[in-house]
Amino acid sequence: MVDQLPNLGRELEMLNEMGYESMEDLFADIPNDVRFQDDLPLRGPQSEEEIIADARRLLGANTDLGSRPSFLGAGLYRNYVPAAVFQLVTRGEFLTAYTPYQPEVSQGMLQAMWEFQTLISELLGLPIANLSLYDGSTAAAEALTCAVRVHTRKASQPSTVYVSELTPPDKMSVMHNYCQGADITIKTLKHRKDGTLDMDLVSEAVGSCGVYVEQPNPLGIMDEGLVQLKDILGKNTALIVGIQPVSLGVLEAPGHYGADIVVGEGQPLGSPITAGGPLYGIFACSKAYLRLMPGRIAGRSIDVDGNEAYCLTLSTREQHIRRHRATSNICTNETLIALMGAMHMALLGPEGLNELAHRNMMACQLLKERLSNVDGVDIVHDSPHFNEFAIRVPGKASECLAFLDDHGVTGGFDLARWYPSITDQILVTATDQTRLPDIETLAGQLAVWSTHAEVSA
Amino acid sequence: MSHLFGHNGAEGTGYSQPPALKPATAPSIPKGLVRQHAARWPRLSEPEMVRHYTWLSKRNFGIDTGFYPLGSCTMKHNPRVNEVIAQLPGIADIHPHQPEHQLQGLLSIYYEMQHMLGIVAGMDNVTLQPVAGAQGEFTAIRCIQEYFRLRGEDQRTKVIVPDSAHGTNPASAAMAGFEIVEIPSLVDGRMDLSALAAVADETTAAMMITNPNTLGLFEADISEASRIVHEAGGQMYYDGANFNAILGITSPGLMGFDAVHFNLHKTFSQPHGGGGPGSGPIGVKAHLAPFLPGPVADRRVATAEEVGSCVDGHRYHWHEPEHSIGKVQQWHGNAGAVIRCWAYYRRYGRGLKQMSEHAVLNANYLRHAIHREAKRAGVDHLFADGAETDVAKHEFTLSMQPAKEALGVSAMDVAKGLLDRGYMAPTVYFPLVVPECMMVEPTETESKDTLDTFAEHFAQVLNTDPKELHEAPITTPVRRVDEVYAARNLCLKHPFDDV
Repeated sequence: MVDQLPNLGRELEMLNEMGYESMEDLFADIPNDVRFQDDLPLRGPQSEEEIIADARRLLGANTDLGSRPSFLGAGLYRNYVPAAVFQLVTRGEFLTAYTPYQPEVSQGMLQAMWEFQTLISELLGLPIANLSLYDGSTAAAEALTCAVRVHTRKASQPSTVYVSELTPPDKMSVMHNYCQGADITIKTLKHRKDGTLDMDLVSEAVGSCGVYVEQPNPLGIMDEGLVQLKDILGKNTALIVGIQPVSLGVLEAPGHYGADIVVGEGQPLGSPITAGGPLYGIFACSKAYLRLMPGRIAGRSIDVDGNEAYCLTLSTREQHIRRHRATSNICTNETLIALMGAMHMALLGPEGLNELAHRNMMACQLLKERLSNVDGVDIVHDSPHFNEFAIRVPGKASECLAFLDDHGVTGGFDLARWYPSITDQILVTATDQTRLPDIETLAGQLAVWSTHAEVSA
Repeated sequence: MSHLFGHNGAEGTGYSQPPALKPATAPSIPKGLVRQHAARWPRLSEPEMVRHYTWLSKRNFGIDTGFYPLGSCTMKHNPRVNEVIAQLPGIADIHPHQPEHQLQGLLSIYYEMQHMLGIVAGMDNVTLQPVAGAQGEFTAIRCIQEYFRLRGEDQRTKVIVPDSAHGTNPASAAMAGFEIVEIPSLVDGRMDLSALAAVADETTAAMMITNPNTLGLFEADISEASRIVHEAGGQMYYDGANFNAILGITSPGLMGFDAVHFNLHKTFSQPHGGGGPGSGPIGVKAHLAPFLPGPVADRRVATAEEVGSCVDGHRYHWHEPEHSIGKVQQWHGNAGAVIRCWAYYRRYGRGLKQMSEHAVLNANYLRHAIHREAKRAGVDHLFADGAETDVAKHEFTLSMQPAKEALGVSAMDVAKGLLDRGYMAPTVYFPLVVPECMMVEPTETESKDTLDTFAEHFAQVLNTDPKELHEAPITTPVRRVDEVYAARNLCLKHPFDDV
């Protein structure tokens, strides 16, 4: 018996009042030849208790990251989210509202999103932020199409963008899907052996509509060269920088070194990894992109009495008004997760963010020291890293990771999944949740693997 | 007023962090990358932060606050056990790149959801990757696009959309690179088959349509529409925004569709969250399955050695479709939403039909009650049905045009009057084919008493002195918000004093 229907048992009373005899009368307009003739071939209903028991059993079969030492990051990061965030975000007034189409009764979320825009704007060093896209990959993809809309008319390489060759293929795939409809050509920018962007080749991208690079880059490297990029590209090519938001507690805001659009995966601020979603995509830009940018934007206004009030604004860019000429098809976004981000940022404050970034870096630095002392294991890039870096291991990375897994350690990310020709490198990640004993365990097991791999070789 | 940026307390008061692993070491940050100016974030202690967001929440209206008849959005109750489940470490604290054997529970739930959605939609294959309805539309249209490219039918560059469609339909198809052909609806809001037949040809890639349509009417001619489009060689795309009306009764597959998206946040109760997150899986017929974004969950029967470590006698794994369009989100979609909706599905199982029956019962009853109460109050001449019909499906439309002409009272005035009586207003001014439209969707989780009381209040609003109604709302946290002022005097972030 289903327990979510207040009018169970009152059906006939309601039907009779309308002059109907049966539920069937309400469906008389659906032709018989498109009807299901039988019950749905699905299981029976369950009670709340049975559902939660099944959920515990099935989800309990997953290996949660906290149950063992884990060094898996590669775009999603395990940071501590304060308890107050979870408590507040499940308040029904936030949780069960929808897009604030009636601003008079949606001031809470509208103001919270306007504050979110301010927090993001300050973090990235750009004046304008929207109130979230789906994730880091769609934010990056929408940044490329936005850059083309703004720059293609003056570009000597019209409808062309350049993307760092290190960009993870899954993200690149999203970019291709979003760009192909507008006939945008995506070219790649090469990196040097040390993992940094090859600045000598950047001139190729001059005259294109946009350049996408990440800071720290997908190999965890903090690339100082990127601060020179805008000078090389000039004002008619958008510099788009993908960031990890926690890193900006110590790293310069890209808006301060010329980035025109900054995007990123917001998850490390405010949200658990949750198997990769829901997350929130960060999108911020300078004024030149405002009227052609994607996504919802909250603005501060006044009500008829002149009192401070908030509402959605610049909606004429959006699908519900502009239809096929909209700047994006996005409607439902990730507001609630962005709200979690705002709450986390509010609790951190500027010094707290700096401390959090510092803890990530220190955990990474310690991990790097310990692993560089393991015979047979090399740190691939002699560059400064934020919270992750590549190591080279004896034998195949996939086999090494399987060995570590068998010994109770989630060792990191096999870089062959991004770069198929590299089969002996693992991207290892530390966060503020990485503990010293975890690092010792990984170092110890890698030492065993190295010996074992040499023996079998 | 409580302002986040009005707080500037002591450093690090929000929450204290444990010491870094190497407390004495300075980080080695390249000189040119050291942050010069900290973000001007506020400084709040936890009690201040909690009070600020609680204050904000009290200025926001959700389903938990009151009746939320927002047409087209299916604002049904969100069972709380779903929130408890979504916080379990087996979903909150897992990473999409973990090896398959560490994610057997997640994979099995994905498989079960793909299977269930395939059955209710009459589709052969499902992917859960798209994270919102609009992204589902885009994904399915991309699959159709690649399907035709592989068949060498590159000339199919057009997508047909009725003028009453949701704005995301044309926007999604245009984003994929298609030209949009809009066809007019008939005066009763239904699809015009002759208009469709006139435009469907060898350049047609797909038709996008929702059924019941945006007026809440079931398009009985849908099979004929499918025949016309298929005969022209095009594909039929079902916008699942209105799925709540038809579960277990009919399916897009039975109506002849080739592809469909679901809005799990509507039909399967993922909380709307003030504007997201959602989840927008798509289902397709077998000929489109090779193009789905990967990976999708698949399984095989476990071997004798494996069976002890299996959740249900199967080994689950990810599968990459042969001609996949690639990805539309970097990971596996909004897994947290999928889990909540799985819990919701489990509540009904094969009884999902009952859910749709009650959704339709409530919509028709509310329509009846509004007319009844309006007649009683002598205001039934002030509005009309948006479409002539005996029965509506899960939602219905009303036109306030008579009130506008007689009293100068607009749909927006009525909406604001309803806010004053403690309701969220219905969707207004959509679909555009109904003048002064109000689109009402009560959902199955509202009681008869709530519907009766809302109907009384609706009549009361129409009986209010128009002058008074133009002033509404007066009881809300703020009164009518000046959206023109907001657009002309853009203020998109806190104006710090030094800017």
